[in-house]
Amino acid sequence: MSALAQYLEEEGVPAVAISLIRLHSEKIGPPRALWVPFELGRPLGSPKDEQFQIRVITRALRLLECAPGPAVLEDFPDDDPTAVDLPDWRPAFDFTAGSIDIGKREVLEHALRQELLAIAPFHERFVAASRRTTIGLSGLSIDDCAELLADCLAGSFPANPDPSANPVQALRWAVDDLKAYYLEAMSADGAMPSSRQMQSWFWDHTLVARAIIALRRQLLASDDKRSQAIGRMNLVPGAQVQRLGLL
Amino acid sequence: MARMTDLPQATQTNMANLECPRFETTPFVSGPPLAERRVAVVTSAGLVRRGERPFVSGDVDYRVLPADTPASQILMSHASVNFDRTAFQRDINVVFPLDRLRAMAAAGAIGSLAATHYSFMGATDPRGMEANARAVAGRLKSDQVDAVLLTPV
Repeated sequence: MSALAQYLEEEGVPAVAISLIRLHSEKIGPPRALWVPFELGRPLGSPKDEQFQIRVITRALRLLECAPGPAVLEDFPDDDPTAVDLPDWRPAFDFTAGSIDIGKREVLEHALRQELLAIAPFHERFVAASRRTTIGLSGLSIDDCAELLADCLAGSFPANPDPSANPVQALRWAVDDLKAYYLEAMSADGAMPSSRQMQSWFWDHTLVARAIIALRRQLLASDDKRSQAIGRMNLVPGAQVQRLGLL
Repeated sequence: MARMTDLPQATQTNMANLECPRFETTPFVSGPPLAERRVAVVTSAGLVRRGERPFVSGDVDYRVLPADTPASQILMSHASVNFDRTAFQRDINVVFPLDRLRAMAAAGAIGSLAATHYSFMGATDPRGMEANARAVAGRLKSDQVDAVLLTPV
């Protein structure tokens, strides 16, 4: 962001960057930046808190008006009030991934479909209330995303709906859509647990997470460098790799 | 919580070791009061319109996001999995705050909202984006934009 601010300003367009990594803004030294003490992924802090978000925007834009000279780096003073764990939170739905053998393709696909069915009413309520979903990168239905995951774990990469895309990349988008399906369902009915709680629950309790971790292991063992890279970097968050002690 | 000490150790190390571009001079353009400025958002969140090709690792191009694009038609295709997506899922404004800027324009805090906004994808050396960033600057000037809010993830 800081480098983009530099390029825009050099072209005569005044720009202010919100900074999530203060160290990078210190190194690059853009014309103006507001560092915010928020979680990565939340440059404006609190979701659904209009006044908080406007305070962040106003503080940033004011640097366009008031900053005395170049290379201004100001700190936003307040933490995101929603970035705290809810006591005793757990999602309204429940299931147990159990001890099914995810190495058996039909068993895995059937169990994944059962899990998706259990979540479906919650996801439908999330979409009805928010009038949007972030699912859609893969271009597949959520059932087809699960089927693709099961197929790939069984060793076959089915025909890609988008022939211009790398099949492993397309698989990654299907995994992203599956994650979004579960996480959006956890936010149904206005639930606002912390992202840490949601991630821990997802990776500890869902069958689909077990399958994604198995896929990661499979891609890491692949001879294909692209598959290795996606397995290493694009399936399981580093925080979960560390927390779960994954190799 | 994006203090370095709150991040996983591997992320801290990557962030600390990331090579950042250095610039010999820092430009600084002045302008009218905020209440008279036309504001655009440029984000590095990897946003695309539904149906567009998602960003993939190494992409240095950008996507055009007209202000009237419904929130339901905007997806996030960032390569990194190491940041929170749940806030964006609940509220697009936490990353792409056009509703908030509209409210600020209606209240007279800013002059107006630009007709078009732009998305790059971070997690790529920004020096590769330079030519495209300069092209976006040209488009912003054509839209009379004189204030850009840059939002990362």
